[in-house]
Amino acid sequence: MPDSQPILLQVERLQVKYGNSQALWDVSLTALSGGITCIIGANGAGKTTTLNAIAGVLPVQSGKIIFAGDDITCLSARQRVQRRISLVPEGRQLWPGMSVEENLLMGCFLPQLRSRAQTNLARIYDLFPRLKERRGQLAGTLSGGEQQMCAIGRGLMSDPQLLMLDEPSLGLAPKLVQEIFQLIVDIAKQGVTILLVGQNVNYTLQIAHQAYVMELGKITLSGPGEMLLKNDHVRRAYLGIAESPGSAENPA
Amino acid sequence: MTAVDFLNLLIAAVLLAGIYAVMSVGMTVIYGVMKIVNLAHAGFMMLGAYFAYEFFERFHIDPLIGAALALPAFFLFGMAVHWLLIRWLPKSDQPTLSSLLLMFAFWLVLQNIGYLFWGNMDRSIFTPRTLTVLTLGPISISLLRLIVFFAAVLCVCALQLALSRSWYGRAMRALIQNPYAAQITGVDDERIARITFGLGTAFAGFAGALLAMLYSFSPDFGRPFLIRAFVIIVLGGLESVSGVAFGALVLALVETFSILYVPAGYQPAISFGLLVVVLLVFPKGIGGLLERKWRPA
Repeated sequence: MPDSQPILLQVERLQVKYGNSQALWDVSLTALSGGITCIIGANGAGKTTTLNAIAGVLPVQSGKIIFAGDDITCLSARQRVQRRISLVPEGRQLWPGMSVEENLLMGCFLPQLRSRAQTNLARIYDLFPRLKERRGQLAGTLSGGEQQMCAIGRGLMSDPQLLMLDEPSLGLAPKLVQEIFQLIVDIAKQGVTILLVGQNVNYTLQIAHQAYVMELGKITLSGPGEMLLKNDHVRRAYLGIAESPGSAENPA
Repeated sequence: MTAVDFLNLLIAAVLLAGIYAVMSVGMTVIYGVMKIVNLAHAGFMMLGAYFAYEFFERFHIDPLIGAALALPAFFLFGMAVHWLLIRWLPKSDQPTLSSLLLMFAFWLVLQNIGYLFWGNMDRSIFTPRTLTVLTLGPISISLLRLIVFFAAVLCVCALQLALSRSWYGRAMRALIQNPYAAQITGVDDERIARITFGLGTAFAGFAGALLAMLYSFSPDFGRPFLIRAFVIIVLGGLESVSGVAFGALVLALVETFSILYVPAGYQPAISFGLLVVVLLVFPKGIGGLLERKWRPA
């Protein structure tokens, strides 16, 4: 991806608290338009919190979220969906008692999106023929992989500019994991900006144009995906690979 | 018991179930979306009864039309109550003490407004069809109960259709099943809650107006029905219209057939007893049991 792309999302010194405990400390990151930006880190590092704050589900203590040039820090979740920010949340968060098609349609709930519901639905069914087969089935009866497809499909139903994916490969069979990552690359090629949180660090960094490492609520490292893949700290802490022989101790 | 007795009781039970369903469904949608146990439901039913009564006494409008008019009138009333009172309650995914107290207090207020306007005398709506009985050989059916049953079933089915087909219905179910997911797809929970409260109130008023054709009423009207609605909702598993229909049928069958064995004075004990049994044996309701079977994960 060329570096000349404009910045779509800029998060500046974000602070988020849950009650008295601080979850995010001065988190800053940028996502270039059309690119794949990733956040990796251990459980509880604040990745999901970051995405929820960008989606407008969590209140922000201080800091700024700038999207397509506008400050959206004070906008509601609904207003952010209107601006074409879409979240595919951790654990899929489908409606188990609603059919696959109803789950997808809810992605177009906003009145200004409804006229496109049928067109977008057809597009999603092209992308996931499997969902078309199961359109009338209750989402709670889908397999894990199908549920993930349904969740991504719902996220795409609103024609997002920014698609945030939280751990999309969690709990899936290795073959499916590969498919999901390929799919994310394909979606990005269509011009959708991706912000991806992944616990599958290897895959995640391979497709990332820009990546951030998060630890205990802070961004501790950032750089292009391939570069972080070679970083000793990342290799040791997240890939379980010992540092290459002869390299010096390299605290991040 | 002869077969004819059995059939008569069965018909009576089914007719009763229709009324029970329409009076419980409003509480269910409100509980599902907002997790508020609407104790004021009984107050809305009482107002619905007097609504039909006033139209009948003053303007000689048929109570059935009065009941139909109650739907839009109580819908707006419910939305106003939500805007004035309910929206200030702290949001929660469980029933809170503050919501219980607020709804209980609101019920008392409605009741006392009722005493202020209509006194504590029992009233009833008496029309030519009140005592009409249809006979089919050995089977006899009260015409009024039949009409009320169809009106009730029609409205409950319309609600079910709206919930399953419309954008707002889907949003409502989305809020019930996963509020977080609803939020990230842009569902405005406060607006949906307001509409839901309006809908729940509309059904309370409608049910009250229907019941007023069958029973006499005072400002305390609604209390015994509130307890039955609780039982039905618990039986049906709290959050679905089909669950309510099922719960209503079970309670109506039990109540009707118990007439054979239990003295009439103990009738109220039946719904209470059923409530205790259900809470002990199936805490998620019988509907909840079926749901678990059909919807793994």
